Amino acid sequence: MSGGYLQPPAATSEGPGVPARAVARGVDERPSSLTRSAGNPAYNRRAMSLLRRLLRSQQAGLVLIILALLVALSLLAGSHVDATTGLTVNNFLNSYTLIQTATDASFIAIMAVGATVVIISGGIDLSVGSVYALAGVGMGLFLRTAGPAGGAGAVWVAFVVCVAIGGAAGALNGAMVVGLRVHPFIITLGSMWILRGIAFVSSKAESILLPESLTHFAKAPLGLGAALYPIPMLAMLVVAALGAIYLQRTVMGRHVFAVGGNPEASRFSGLRLGRIQIGVYVLSGLTAGLAAFLGASFYGSVSCGDATGYELYVIASAVVGGARLSGGRGSAINAMLGAVLIVLIRQSIRTLHADQNYEWIIIGCAIVVAVVLDQASARFAARRLAGGES
Amino acid sequence: MDPAPPLISFRGVSKRFPGARALEDVSFDVASGSCHALCGENGAGKSTLGKLLAGIDVPDAGEILVAGRPVHFGEPRDALAAGIGMVHQELSFCENLSVAENLCLGDLPRRGLLLSRPALEQRARDMLAAIEATIDVRRLVGDLTVAEQQVVQIAAAVGGGARVIIFDEPTSSLSQHEADHLYALLGRLRSRGTTCVYVSHRMPEIFRLCDTITVLRDGKHVATRAANALDEAALVHLMIGRELSEYLGQKADREPGEALLRVQELSSPGRFADIGFEVRAGEVVGLAGLVGAGRSDIAKAIFGLDAEAHGRVEVAGKALAGGSPAAAMRAGLGFVPEDRKRQGLIAGLTALENLTLPTLAQLSRFGWIRFGAERARAEEVFARLKLPPPGLDLAAGGLSGGNQQKIVLAKWLAARCRVLLLDEPTRGVDVGAKSEIHGLIRDLAAGGSGILLISSELPELLALSTRMLVLREGRLVGELGRGADQETLMRLMAGVDAPIVNRPR
Repeated sequence: MSGGYLQPPAATSEGPGVPARAVARGVDERPSSLTRSAGNPAYNRRAMSLLRRLLRSQQAGLVLIILALLVALSLLAGSHVDATTGLTVNNFLNSYTLIQTATDASFIAIMAVGATVVIISGGIDLSVGSVYALAGVGMGLFLRTAGPAGGAGAVWVAFVVCVAIGGAAGALNGAMVVGLRVHPFIITLGSMWILRGIAFVSSKAESILLPESLTHFAKAPLGLGAALYPIPMLAMLVVAALGAIYLQRTVMGRHVFAVGGNPEASRFSGLRLGRIQIGVYVLSGLTAGLAAFLGASFYGSVSCGDATGYELYVIASAVVGGARLSGGRGSAINAMLGAVLIVLIRQSIRTLHADQNYEWIIIGCAIVVAVVLDQASARFAARRLAGGES
Repeated sequence: MDPAPPLISFRGVSKRFPGARALEDVSFDVASGSCHALCGENGAGKSTLGKLLAGIDVPDAGEILVAGRPVHFGEPRDALAAGIGMVHQELSFCENLSVAENLCLGDLPRRGLLLSRPALEQRARDMLAAIEATIDVRRLVGDLTVAEQQVVQIAAAVGGGARVIIFDEPTSSLSQHEADHLYALLGRLRSRGTTCVYVSHRMPEIFRLCDTITVLRDGKHVATRAANALDEAALVHLMIGRELSEYLGQKADREPGEALLRVQELSSPGRFADIGFEVRAGEVVGLAGLVGAGRSDIAKAIFGLDAEAHGRVEVAGKALAGGSPAAAMRAGLGFVPEDRKRQGLIAGLTALENLTLPTLAQLSRFGWIRFGAERARAEEVFARLKLPPPGLDLAAGGLSGGNQQKIVLAKWLAARCRVLLLDEPTRGVDVGAKSEIHGLIRDLAAGGSGILLISSELPELLALSTRMLVLREGRLVGELGRGADQETLMRLMAGVDAPIVNRPR
């Protein structure tokens, strides 16, 4: 740490000290944007208690909504008597349902982290569901024809093949967006069909069974108990953390925000736009490949119809997490939380025994409400800051 | 007792914004039929006041009276209904629609359910004729020059029945010739009894156009005086609250050193041809020319932003590969573009993040940003530019124009560039910040940097440049040394005997 962090607060505690717009930008993982009091943010970063920081962060809203939903579901779910142990178990608040919900969310959440990076850069990636399917099918075919039949070797080969296909598909998307100068919506709409078509043709529309060692890996209980599979959930947490670190602490991450905020000014600042744009699609492809590896391994088979429609869940997660479609704003952690929230809403329909036919309507409404609330709270925060500044 | 009440009165008007300075308890009157200047440094609240009057923003406290009656404008539409229109600094039009459609947008003439195109165009032509302007109403607004767009805005205001028109720095992106047209139009409006509220920091035009001057400073009302009771020095004093000792003056040229930038046979089809010159260490080379002469194009081409340009550019003796701003940057070139909002800044990033954008690779290790080093570098540059340190963490979009411009300059100071291309470095910047930027340019040259300066303000160019290159229609037509006078420069820019005309942009 250099001198800037060591200055006493008194030396800089004059002048307009409220980084109002920085807060309004809503990028949460940056501690400097959380300080509201005057003076050196580096100092305040340390001085502010963890709790206050948490409450001020943009995650706070999403976390509170998720917690409220958890509490409500636990209260409303009712309970049943476990047949083997004879104990009364809450129908929702039990480790099985919770981990199952997290598993459902994890595949979407992992891709949502990649999608958020693309959205921050001002782009969009509609092809993630197809990349997922192609990576899974490619991996299944490779293992069937050339790879090891089982054991740890099969797991490694599957991982490498999935991630490589995902990365390559992303690179293709990026290269087309940059090289052909066509809007990414169109390019990835095209590749969405093309990639799923390749998966369809190469798999001959068959379902391909995967070696058991993959399922053993993805469903490893890690000492939790027989029916509990925490691997996808842990992968989700790791990817979200890596995404947050990438966006907030690396040069490339900063460049992504810059390009999404104002591409022309970024170019005038000497940034290589093409390279940055290709990079974000590669990242998106990599997360889709990783999700495919985990999902396919977890379910034990792949087919070209996997993850159909996931792109919309993925983009919805990013947007519910506060990513702005025009670029320049978004957060990896929030994208994950967005995915968790959407899956939780879906889960609540099952838990409460509501009519499942209404699932899409309810999720659609929830997405719109979440985004409207997010905007309203941002406006409220801006106004509160304006009023407090005197 | 009193004769007629003033047309517009501000009574204790206050307005707050997050992150920006605003208005505090402002009271003054605007007389009917006058041309009333609103002056002040950037961030003094001039534009905000204009926006309150035009109904774009709503005051937090106080009231606005029109012809003695309090009014509450919640929408620009309300202000228009009360006869108040505004010509914006950033023009707000639907660029994909025609002049006629834009002019009639609020009330499109219909025949039955369908749009009536002849009625639409006729009404638009009438509106333009009312201010004696001739623009083809079928052209798309996006194809018009800024000056023509302004004329359309004025026509819209007048056609909408405006008795009061607010001009928010209307000449900030006009050439001299276009500005002259605007002055003439203003004269015609006044002769019809239209009241003008004129926001500007350009001294000469304020004294030329306005009869009353109101000065704001830090959001507070400082004075309202008759224009003929003030001179430039007194007005500057009111605006910044102190004497400005060295507003353009002081020349201490040092002996130029080695050639830092050498440009040879640089051409770009349709923009400029066969440009060759040198900038040496310690020099401020002015690039003069009318708008459209190709000044900005040349700067962009040198910085690698023009893929069609060809020719030779050397920085400190090394040839520069064209077409790559990144390569230009690595070679030690910095470029301050003319359009701060679009090309200079990323509004959503903080000042700090904007400032270190070109330098981030230097301030990182294996792709990880070293936040301590980043902040230290930014603080160093901030101190040099006399910017308050807490501003580092504000979003760049919320800063005043002067501070924004300083951030754009700061980017290249932080990058420790030895050659700076400055395109209109003081456009839209208040007098205080302007004088500081001038000082900075001189300091940089004195410190051994080479500077290429583009400016439409001839006094600025004459005062700062150690020598000037004159550009006309994409070609270098002459060079003037220190001490040249404005008239010689102007004649060279325009072509000696030729009238001053602009090439269409």
